Amino acid sequence: MTIVSGKAEARRTLQSAGFGVFRKVWEHRADYAYVLPAIAVMLVVIAYPIYYTIELSFFNTPPGLQLRDKTFVGFNNYTAILTSQVFWQVTLNTLIWTFVSTLFSFVLGFAAALALHRDFIGRGVLRAILIIPWVISAVAASYIWKWIYHSDFGIIGAVMVELGLADRPPNFIDSVGTVLPSLIVVNIWREFPFAMIMMMAGLQTVPDQLLRAAKVDGANAWQRFWHVTFPHLRNVSTVTILLLAVANFNSFIIPWIMTGGGPSNASHIWITHIYELAFGRQRWGVASAYSVLLFLILMTLGYFYVRALSGNERKDRSA
Amino acid sequence: MSTIAETTSRGQTRRRVRIDGWRWGGRVFLVFMLLYTALPMVWMLLTSIKSGFAAMQLPPQWWPDQPTLASYQKLLDPQNSVGQDFLRFFWNSLIVSTATTILSVIVAVPAAYAFSRFTFPGRNFLFFAVLLRNMFPAVIFLVPLFVLMRAIGLVNTHGSLILTYLTFGLPLAIWLLKGFYDNIPVQLEQAARIDGATRLQAFILIVMPLSAPGIIATAIYSFIGAWNEYIYAYTFLSKNEQLTLPVGIQRFFSENTTDFPGLMAASFMMSVPVVVLFLVLQRYFVRALTEGAVKH
Repeated sequence: MTIVSGKAEARRTLQSAGFGVFRKVWEHRADYAYVLPAIAVMLVVIAYPIYYTIELSFFNTPPGLQLRDKTFVGFNNYTAILTSQVFWQVTLNTLIWTFVSTLFSFVLGFAAALALHRDFIGRGVLRAILIIPWVISAVAASYIWKWIYHSDFGIIGAVMVELGLADRPPNFIDSVGTVLPSLIVVNIWREFPFAMIMMMAGLQTVPDQLLRAAKVDGANAWQRFWHVTFPHLRNVSTVTILLLAVANFNSFIIPWIMTGGGPSNASHIWITHIYELAFGRQRWGVASAYSVLLFLILMTLGYFYVRALSGNERKDRSA
Repeated sequence: MSTIAETTSRGQTRRRVRIDGWRWGGRVFLVFMLLYTALPMVWMLLTSIKSGFAAMQLPPQWWPDQPTLASYQKLLDPQNSVGQDFLRFFWNSLIVSTATTILSVIVAVPAAYAFSRFTFPGRNFLFFAVLLRNMFPAVIFLVPLFVLMRAIGLVNTHGSLILTYLTFGLPLAIWLLKGFYDNIPVQLEQAARIDGATRLQAFILIVMPLSAPGIIATAIYSFIGAWNEYIYAYTFLSKNEQLTLPVGIQRFFSENTTDFPGLMAASFMMSVPVVVLFLVLQRYFVRALTEGAVKH
């Protein structure tokens, strides 16, 4: 009896060690049919490009992108990036851009979600208006703000002149000192509604009983927020901040349309710089090496993103 | 007794004062956000109904002296070359966005269902791989995709855009839809299976109708994403008659840099379809984000 069960157990461990995986895959073969179209599209348009970018980053490719004439250069493209002065300037710009945009988008969006949480007349209309910047095209947004910042006829400059704050309209996006903050204002304008929607959704999951209980126990509004509401929103906040950070890090349209990275690189961020290196100056190898570095950075961020997401899931299951 | 009554009443007055403070703070903040959000859009509309001359004055005409719809007429007139271009760009955007939306739904629905219902080896890995795609910027994929499209002869066709939009829209579509399927009780399908339905029948007849709001939300998201996309369209298309709106407008106004009323009118017209679509269907949209993002 014991020998038999021992054998069965041995067989089972053997299976789970080696052939179990294949058997499981085979047993679930029909399930894959549902995922297959998605995976197929992804493989062609994602896995292949990633492989390709890594390959190109070790080669010098002629400007016309004639792939047969490329020459192997090892890590030259990478050293060229790390030793160039522009790299550090662009990196600093990217950090400022990503950090400030993410911080303000999140804080403004969260505050708006809190203020909109209580019902009042016109709440739906107000919410809809606040979301519109996020819906419209970034190209349209860039042109609207470009016109608002216009150095001769921009409305902000005109208001400043009317109020006596300036003698003549300031050059918001044509001067090195003000261009980055000016663009960040536009970016926040477009990004905060996303944080608002996410946090509004999150607020709905905070149990009312807990808030009422805290109220009965004499907690004031701030204490209720800090000790009850906020802990409940920790996971949503993490996911929102990560998504915002990634989206901001990956911004392209606003700086590209509004300034093209100028004046003198003051508003170049990584993505616009890579684009210009590749399609502007045809330096495919360097641009690909940049992409690989970017890839590594994003993978690190992605690791935290996945951890935050699976943290959510585990909590849900145990709850 | 009396002490208890005293403390509660004191607590209440204190609380009322505090809440009013927060509430007023909230109101002031909302007014500020409303101005920040709406004023740029109002200024776009006001500029679009000025003449080119009226737009370029200092101090500006806060309210147009002689409102005119000339810019809109110019953009929508098929007789003149500007109108021809604009209407063609509009049509191109419509075709590309609609095709992308339909394909996204067709591909995302079964995938999201599988991620929600089945446990098969590699499920988590695949799901996170799909999500991770969301993290990478278009620029990383541009060069290789450009080469790929050139190799399969899709450069300068709308097919190249539809294929790429499909992939960058998919992760979020799958994520949103999975949230919906997670909230549909499995028991419904089990009951259908007991009554003799196959798994596919249970999916099509029971689950699909219940997830209609999720599918609508996914469709809006894909449409808006495709409508607003710029980088791929900017890189893959070079022929004027194929451009989509964002690129078309940019190219057009790099030649007419001073026609700000025209530019504002074009920006407005470009925003109308997505804003209307969003406003009409926003409750599905917000709900989908709630289900997908928060409950996950």
